[in-house]
Amino acid sequence: MAGLKIAHDKCTECRMCYVVCREININAVVVSPTSQHLLEIDERCIYPKCTVCLMYCPAEGSIVETDTGRSLVPPPPEVWTENQRWPRQ
Amino acid sequence: MNLTTNKDLGGFLAQELIKQSEHDAAVTPMDTVLDAARAGKFSADQCFRLLARLWTLKRTMYYVYGGWAQGINLNEYPPSVAYLFGKQIYDESTHEMQFCDEILRRRWVRTQKQLFAHPYAQFGTATRTGSYIFCLRALANYPQNVRIAALNLGPKVIELAWTEKFAKTFPDEAIHALFHSQLAETRSHVLMGRFQVERFLQKEVDTELAKRLCAETRRDYLFYLEESARFVLGMQEEKAGEVSVSGDID
Repeated sequence: MAGLKIAHDKCTECRMCYVVCREININAVVVSPTSQHLLEIDERCIYPKCTVCLMYCPAEGSIVETDTGRSLVPPPPEVWTENQRWPRQ
Repeated sequence: MNLTTNKDLGGFLAQELIKQSEHDAAVTPMDTVLDAARAGKFSADQCFRLLARLWTLKRTMYYVYGGWAQGINLNEYPPSVAYLFGKQIYDESTHEMQFCDEILRRRWVRTQKQLFAHPYAQFGTATRTGSYIFCLRALANYPQNVRIAALNLGPKVIELAWTEKFAKTFPDEAIHALFHSQLAETRSHVLMGRFQVERFLQKEVDTELAKRLCAETRRDYLFYLEESARFVLGMQEEKAGEVSVSGDID
């Protein structure tokens, strides 16, 4: 199953992915329970049905596809869709 | 659901403001500074002037954000808005420290105290820099979503554009690395702005206000860049034009 993970060597820890994931109530981005408090993406992530974190991430290469390791920031055209990005009421 | 529905004022507004700012950002006075540096016509003193002017702007942003912070009321916005504001202040602080560190590392001055007193790093009230800063500070009276629209989708877009150019081709290795290291954070501020406008700017009156304020902050920031570029390159300062008033005005 496809999923996302954060590449910590590229991530700037700005937490935009956390903010937007919370905003749409998916809550798949979590603060890890370690002293570094790095962000992680857990099993609640519904990628590729949602790509909201990819849209707002500023750091190139910092979110990757778990299976392939492919960088998704900035999002490639086949991944980015308006209707997947921001589920609105 | 498509983002661009008629009800989605914030989405339309974010797109419009970013587009206008990108248009303004295509050519800025900082291009002249970069051209001079790339042509090898950039002295150490000019480099000092550049970093000192950028440091001056970044450090005066504390004054702006201090005023803004008083205007975030409890329960007015979700915690994410307060967090993003805090992060933006933290990032600007990091950039301010970087400019100061580089100046000290090159021993253009020996201490931060000396830098505060140095003519290159002075903050003058009757200057373009002052005008820009006071204009931003005055936004303290507006709601956070409106002022974030004015700053993050205006001057920040322009800042990102010229920083990208400096990060790509500025010939000095250390300064090139410095600008490159700031890219993700500055880009993040633009994206934070987009997020907040899309999500929290939904009234027509706020939309119109944001458009006007964004145009003003963009204009003032471009004036700041022009003043700084002139100073860095040692060009004559702009003279204020005389204003003549016709004698037969009633």
